[in-house]
Amino acid sequence: MVSMTRGAYAKPGTSLDFKTGNWRSTEMPAHIHAKAPCHAACPAGEDQQAWFAKLQEGHAEAAWAELVRANPLPAITGRVCPHPCEGACNRAALDGALAIHNVERWLGDEAIRNGWDYPVAAPRANAPEVGIVGAGPAGISAAYHCLRHGLRATIYEASPEAGGLLRAAIPQTRLPRAPLDAELSRVLALPGITLNLRTRLGRDVSLEELRHNHPAVLLAPGCQASTAWSVDGAVPADLREGLHMLKDFVDHGALPEAERVVVHGGGNTAMDLCRLLKRSGSKQVTLITASGLPGPDTDPSDEINVVPRELEEALEEGIEIIDHATINRLIMKGSRVTGVEIMSLRKLPGRDGRSHRIGFEGTERVVAVDMVIPCIGERVEPQGLSGLVERGYLRPSDRFGRLNEGELFALGDARGDRGTVAAAIGDGALAASAVARHLAGEADPVVDDRPEMPNAGLNLTYYDHLPRAEAPKLSVEERTFDTEIEGDIGRVAAMAEAERCLSCGNCLACDNCWTFCPDNAVIKTVELALDGSHYLFDLDYCKGCGLCAHECPTGFIQMLPNANGATEGAV
Amino acid sequence: MSAESERAERLTELRQKFGRKPLAPGEETIPHSPREAQPKFRGLDSGHRACQGCGEALAARLVMESAGPDVMIANATGCLEVFTTPWPQSAWRVPWVHSLFENAAAVASGMEAAMKAQGKNTKVLAFGGDGGTYDIGFQALSGMLERYHNVLYVCYDNEAYMNTGIQRSSSTPHSATTTTSPAGKERMGKRHLKKDLLSIIAAHHIPYAASASVAFPADLQRKVRYAMGIDGPTFLVIHSPCPLGWKHASALTIQVARRAVECGLFPLVEIERGALTNVMPIRDVRPVTDYLSIQGRFSHLMDTEDTRAEEERAHLQALADYNIQVFSLQGDGEDPVDTGGSAAVGRSGHAARRA
Repeated sequence: MVSMTRGAYAKPGTSLDFKTGNWRSTEMPAHIHAKAPCHAACPAGEDQQAWFAKLQEGHAEAAWAELVRANPLPAITGRVCPHPCEGACNRAALDGALAIHNVERWLGDEAIRNGWDYPVAAPRANAPEVGIVGAGPAGISAAYHCLRHGLRATIYEASPEAGGLLRAAIPQTRLPRAPLDAELSRVLALPGITLNLRTRLGRDVSLEELRHNHPAVLLAPGCQASTAWSVDGAVPADLREGLHMLKDFVDHGALPEAERVVVHGGGNTAMDLCRLLKRSGSKQVTLITASGLPGPDTDPSDEINVVPRELEEALEEGIEIIDHATINRLIMKGSRVTGVEIMSLRKLPGRDGRSHRIGFEGTERVVAVDMVIPCIGERVEPQGLSGLVERGYLRPSDRFGRLNEGELFALGDARGDRGTVAAAIGDGALAASAVARHLAGEADPVVDDRPEMPNAGLNLTYYDHLPRAEAPKLSVEERTFDTEIEGDIGRVAAMAEAERCLSCGNCLACDNCWTFCPDNAVIKTVELALDGSHYLFDLDYCKGCGLCAHECPTGFIQMLPNANGATEGAV
Repeated sequence: MSAESERAERLTELRQKFGRKPLAPGEETIPHSPREAQPKFRGLDSGHRACQGCGEALAARLVMESAGPDVMIANATGCLEVFTTPWPQSAWRVPWVHSLFENAAAVASGMEAAMKAQGKNTKVLAFGGDGGTYDIGFQALSGMLERYHNVLYVCYDNEAYMNTGIQRSSSTPHSATTTTSPAGKERMGKRHLKKDLLSIIAAHHIPYAASASVAFPADLQRKVRYAMGIDGPTFLVIHSPCPLGWKHASALTIQVARRAVECGLFPLVEIERGALTNVMPIRDVRPVTDYLSIQGRFSHLMDTEDTRAEEERAHLQALADYNIQVFSLQGDGEDPVDTGGSAAVGRSGHAARRA
């Protein structure tokens, strides 16, 4: 008796001789890699879908290696990033966005605990050496990405420690020193990066020297210069700018005492300061912001620019927020402020096509206060950068940050159009890629203009309900000045969270196409096919019914205009 | 002349007839390809002439995957027989016999008896459409069940005589349009009800009878494997949408089949020895209009001006509600094997399979 295996294969006289592929009339299936919305939204250029896919396979180290291809500082960004990825997540409409920042932080911490090696090789001894000004997130990211491209990097930092604003202006309740120090030192210890501390541009080293010594110079000095603040010329005698106050607190724990405080601004500095003042004993802390609070009626571009979690915690702690408002007048008694007049305003399109903030007459009201703290942003310190600073910032001419002078780039906050750690990290990656291509005599890298996969492109039938993992959090009473408020979600929850990733626009290897094709025209392979999936379309037999595309959960299969007929195996 | 060279000669003759080059000495007829290395047995292969998006072709392949290579098939007349075996080709990779519309069960009975006489264990399957099962081959099927043959009978239910041009069968649902039950001034499609075949089969007190749907392949294949393990007559009816006859887009075959289950019009149940032993609970019950509105055969029911349409929609909704009540289809809370959980997938396959 003939024994047959599961894969038994008959040959003569089979219908395989009849190529039904020539029945296909209008459309054929194709694998299309669309961008997952998290990836499209990430200012650091992370592909969250790609590293979640590795986690789904159970490989945490591979997931971390995929993550640090774009962002070398996940333990830091997992703590401080406002995570626009979660705002974009397609799962939000189903049962809550993925807890991306919690898993990112867990991966970063895992890497530190286990000493996982960054996936970069030491550059050649004679590799070109890029000069970088500033060891904040932009500068460190740029140095790291130079290594990834086989270049060396030398960083010039004015302060005695690396970290920039991460170290100077983020309270320990958000970013404890331990992970900050561990992650920064791991990156800066990579062979090929030289760090020169206490080296200030314009004092210890000049831009001309740098440009002479390095084939390319990346400027990431951040914003250090305060902007003058007054309301119609009135300036309180004890006026202190918010960022400086925050830096003093982070440095040596100093905070002013005042019963009733008004903080004017709409960023993380303002929010951090409000919460610190409240915790240090101020009875009434009010944030006045020209932006709006997140909500269905607020345009995303008009939303207050803070980490959503921070906003939520601030409200828990009793911070009062007056949105869509500005300080119209300071009420002074001598040179001390005793009250502020607040006026409602809105961002409205003007005749010139640009948005303007319009104040509404008749909405003025007076609030009694003891102190006003402006947190209205800083500008680039022009020392050593003469001629480059334009209206307060270094204003680059392209997306790579190139200034209009050869291989000179501006990165991070100094560009004036940034404002997050993630954007600074993304700038570092972009500038390094452009420098590497330039030094190799090639054109700039191409823009990834793949379309984004919208919620409507998914087939949600195939995703079961899985609730979002919640990270532990200190209650309002437990919060102090130096304990981190949000906790670690841990391995079990991180792995469970990975299972929730919809894999938008990318193959989930779920077998649906292979299972549902009535014509066996989808072939499963052991090897990964060139397009990154495990499936091939056998267009010799595909009749173009479109079932595979309709039943593909992730939108990875789409129907394209037909290439006619049987193709003898070639796609 | 040896059987081997006789076969080679016949093949050369056939290749010549269909305008293909004769084989070089030692050449294999099919080059080694990924198709030959599929991880599951594909008893029904490509090149068959089913329409785009055919639910029946899909269902038959899913059954063959789980039934495995050591089977033989008696196939009644119908689409499945016609589109898989245009002479001289066959899409089947197992022994396969076709005789008539009405006697697949009788032929299968004889095949099973022959296997028994020869002391072989090869399982015999009988395949038929709803026409060959609900109507024409019904008495042969009843006899086969009564004589307790070790045969798995699979009915591919596409709810009309699709092969001959969409004539109504006793399986066609109430108020569907077919060429012999057209909707018009006199009638709103088929006047009569869909025959409750499963209850009649169950009345034979056979070991296992079940309904399955192409929209739930893991559930379908579990039922096939269960039936294959039983020494005695077993019966499976598989809801298999027909894009041509039901008038829906070929890409919607699975969606249509899923909605039939989710609205309660096609309950997925298992009956052992006449007793209901399992059902697939419905996580979120859909109104029947979700199912009806995506098919052309019910388009006359979507006429908002016609009061008869409203009445028929209500009638179909009542039939679905009746099924949900009689079979207790309404789930209580989320269940990994209800209609929602059964559909769930994850990286590297079906969620339930990985758990």
